[in-house]
Amino acid sequence: MAERPEDLNLPNAVITRIIKEALPDGVNVSKEARKAISQAASIFVLYATSCANNFAMKAKRKTLNAGDVMSAMEEMEFERFLQPLRQALEAYKKGQKGKKEASEQKRKEKKNITDENDKSRDEEEDEHMDDEQEGENEGEEEDAWS
Amino acid sequence: MAATAPVAPAESELDRSGAEDEPRSAEPEEDAGNGQTGPTAGAQQQQHRLAKLPLSRIKALMKADPDVSLASQESVFIIAKATELFVEMIAKDALVYAQQGKRKTLQRKDLDNAIEAIDEFAFLEGTLD
Repeated sequence: MAERPEDLNLPNAVITRIIKEALPDGVNVSKEARKAISQAASIFVLYATSCANNFAMKAKRKTLNAGDVMSAMEEMEFERFLQPLRQALEAYKKGQKGKKEASEQKRKEKKNITDENDKSRDEEEDEHMDDEQEGENEGEEEDAWS
Repeated sequence: MAATAPVAPAESELDRSGAEDEPRSAEPEEDAGNGQTGPTAGAQQQQHRLAKLPLSRIKALMKADPDVSLASQESVFIIAKATELFVEMIAKDALVYAQQGKRKTLQRKDLDNAIEAIDEFAFLEGTLD
């Protein structure tokens, strides 16, 4: 069954929740309206992607990055999104970095434990993660788009 | 003294195709607690609690564009976020028309009116079923 890209729907429950949270209490949304909004959202993704990809291609990059998306938003006249998107991106990057460090730490510890097991099985496993220094955005992402 | 070496900037994931199958999915993900039905384990894009829309679905949409080769994980996230903002915006703008019609229920025609009236939504004209 060949699917058109627009048929890739976003989950109804999530779309509905976003709509409800945006509207005041007591307002209802018809099924048709919800469906149309969901479809519009999919089209938005396609359009934004295409737009962002143009910026990437202009810069001779094969990989679409966050800066391209920001440029796309401006191009699409959604400047009002830029500020909240920047904030969200910062929070996201921090979260990702934390996860990366955490899993690297775990990998190190696993390796240590494996090594130690070879030596002696009585060692207490120091499973606890050392307090990781929250390097505040040490590897700060280049602000391609300020 | 546990400071791990600073992690390479996030953009180093550039060349992983959209970072879909991140090895670090070994980490138990903090509960996103949203309506996402996808499995938490395995290759699914990790749902970050900052985005309500599932990144895997967003990414699938992005990949539908034949001109798109790779997309950084951040770009997928930002598009997800932007889409959420878009939904909020169009719902609110459509509501104005419902209110004009003294209705408390948003209807399809309110959407159509908003799309016609508002410049930012021009790209939607003629696209909805």
